[in-house]
Amino acid sequence: MTQKTIIRFLLFLTVMVAVNFILDRAFKAFSVHNAINKTMDRQFEEYQGTMKYLTLGNSHNCINTYILDSSFNYGSPSENFIQSYYKLKHVLEETGQRPRNLILQADVSSFGPMIANRFEYNSYWIHYIDYFELARIKGNRDVLDKWLEGKFMSYAGNYKDIQLSIFYRIKVKTLEIYNGYRPHRDYRNFANNPNRQRTAWNKANLILSPDIYMDPSIAVYFEKILQLCQKYRINVMLIRIPMSKEFYEEECKIVPVDKLYAEVEEIACRYPVYDRILDYHDLFSDHPEYFFDPDHLNIKGADLFTEHLVKDLEQMDSASRAE
Amino acid sequence: MLFNSLEYVIFLPVVVVTYFIIPVKWRWTFLLVASYFFYMCNKVEYGILLLFTTLVDWFVAFQIAQASTLKRKKAFLAISLIANLGMLAGFKYLNFFSESINFLLDSFQMQGSLPVFRILLPVGISFFVFKSLSYTIDVYRGIRAPEKHLGYYALYVSFFPQLIAGPIDRSSSILPQLHHPRDFSTARLISGLKLIVWGIFKKVIIADRLGLYVDEIFAHPEAYTGLSVILATVLFAFQLYCDFAGYTDIARGSARILGYDLMINFNRPMVAKSLRDFWNRWHISLTTWFRDYVLYALPYVRNKKVIFSRLYFNLIITYLLMGLWHGADWNFVIFGFLNGVFLVIETITEKKRNWFLDRTGISRHSILNNLLGNVVTLILIIFTLIFFKADNLEESLLIISNSFDFSNLYASLWKILHDNELLFGIVMLATMLVAEHIHEKHDLVRLIASRHIIIRWLVYIGFIFFVIIFWVQQKQEFIYFQF
Repeated sequence: MTQKTIIRFLLFLTVMVAVNFILDRAFKAFSVHNAINKTMDRQFEEYQGTMKYLTLGNSHNCINTYILDSSFNYGSPSENFIQSYYKLKHVLEETGQRPRNLILQADVSSFGPMIANRFEYNSYWIHYIDYFELARIKGNRDVLDKWLEGKFMSYAGNYKDIQLSIFYRIKVKTLEIYNGYRPHRDYRNFANNPNRQRTAWNKANLILSPDIYMDPSIAVYFEKILQLCQKYRINVMLIRIPMSKEFYEEECKIVPVDKLYAEVEEIACRYPVYDRILDYHDLFSDHPEYFFDPDHLNIKGADLFTEHLVKDLEQMDSASRAE
Repeated sequence: MLFNSLEYVIFLPVVVVTYFIIPVKWRWTFLLVASYFFYMCNKVEYGILLLFTTLVDWFVAFQIAQASTLKRKKAFLAISLIANLGMLAGFKYLNFFSESINFLLDSFQMQGSLPVFRILLPVGISFFVFKSLSYTIDVYRGIRAPEKHLGYYALYVSFFPQLIAGPIDRSSSILPQLHHPRDFSTARLISGLKLIVWGIFKKVIIADRLGLYVDEIFAHPEAYTGLSVILATVLFAFQLYCDFAGYTDIARGSARILGYDLMINFNRPMVAKSLRDFWNRWHISLTTWFRDYVLYALPYVRNKKVIFSRLYFNLIITYLLMGLWHGADWNFVIFGFLNGVFLVIETITEKKRNWFLDRTGISRHSILNNLLGNVVTLILIIFTLIFFKADNLEESLLIISNSFDFSNLYASLWKILHDNELLFGIVMLATMLVAEHIHEKHDLVRLIASRHIIIRWLVYIGFIFFVIIFWVQQKQEFIYFQF
């Protein structure tokens, strides 16, 4: 190997590292999802007053914080219990916030292997997740790829996010986010879908697995969330978000729903802080017009659902006061 | 350890740097340790199987060479065959035979059943067993002398770039290279890296992307019809090609950096003009293995009248076994059988087809004839691959029957045209096929290498980052790992 070759080789490596650095920084700065999540983080840090309800979950979680007073919706797209645990841990250990109640989204899909292995937006989650601990618990070293991605190569494989960031950058600036709640800006009407059952079938098969209804790592982190809440004496309520009738029918074909929730109850009941499960999965069974797709409420549906929730929470409050 | 994993990204540079730093006399030892480490990362116990095959065949080969009588030679060869194929049968085919017999017993309403075990198939077992077996057969046939050095032989069997999914190189090609390791070469490093990046492109940009669509259709064959099914079966052929050829490129690139040349396993099979041509271009190391050690070993009658029918029979048996090599399932048997039958039909009709071409005045080498041959070959191969991909016979038949149902044509078309991931995958596939075509005629690598350094580097860096950005995040194992 001649000196010239070595210099060229080193120069090539340097260029590679430099390009990677620029792409990584650019992605972290301009990614739409990062921007939204960071806005939520900032709003959470700036939150004033008593936080009565903290809600966690993924895009199904559409609890409107304008309607539910003293609440913060900290859910984010494709978030699973693993991510929720680390975020909650960060909230409780690093910030001064102490929510009185945790409303944890517990849909059928929240427990499956699909969501358990879905780690997106790692350049955001790197601030929360202990990937090495996670790799140990999952017994899967592949998780460390996500750490590498989040730390040094945030853009890797994130072409969809890049595309979104380029086309929607301006829109993001005007997005309204209030106490973490961001209304879904998808104006499709599921009622107008001529093939609702088929669409629901597609979606259910995409996010659910017939082989495993409760992923072992999800079960571990579900318990860890409960343990954390026990430690900080935070009341835990699980919530099943409304789904379209078609989606629920398809869910039941894939997953033994009753068996799953019996197991969930069994785990949760071991912890005194566990309060109850708020089951709204069939709230809008006959109202496909409140959904924009089989498993996501639209703005109107989200508002109506939150109003129901507020009413129920108030009733529960007055009942407990009466006791 | 997957080639497309973070572990391998760390493993390979560490092995390469250490390999060239340490004294030459220790290199084989280091490579042997690294290869066993690579294999045992999957499961530590697997190392015992690898060691067992190595020790048995090394010892047996010596005994074969020293045996004074043919009978004794045969006896030792039988030991090697029983040990290797027995291990393969135990881990891979035991349950298949048990389940098949149980099914037969059930069908005839007979009492009793054979036990079915839950055995995890050791990765790469079909590959290293065949590699080791070819060595003892070669020694038996007198083609090569037995390897005196156990370490070199152990390294030949376990050499990490080709351990999990080939190529199934012969000892005559690899052992001399192991005895005379090459010094570090910048040219080999660069050319090896190019091959690796090209292999990764095929795997993570094309195969994994097409796999998203193909897997969805094959996972729910009852729900899809017509165009969706046809497209999925066509794309599966290309997914399989990109997946396996990508693996082979990474394997060959890794070995090349270390100074070793592995055989070419794929030679643009999708442009094959006949089935024979296809199998001369597809998984070449396996096809030639079966040709040399099965087809040529099968008995045939030296009578002109029956010689051809016997040859055809042998051909079908060989392909049937080749199908079974892929997996312990009747689907793979059918896959192999169909290929054998199609090949026989192709051979039988060759004269008639040529006569027809001569009569019509169409040149045998005309574009029209080549194109027709290519299309027919691909249709037949894609048809047989339905059995390769589907989980069982019922699913295969369902897919075939559903592909004739065009009642949802517009819905299928709408879904395809709105699947950006799929469309991008098809564009990338077309780009790769065009690039391979250009490379065949003009040596694309040399063409780029001859450009000014700035252009060259722009191309390399641009391509590398393109691969990283458009990488499909849902990591999928290489399809051939299951064999």
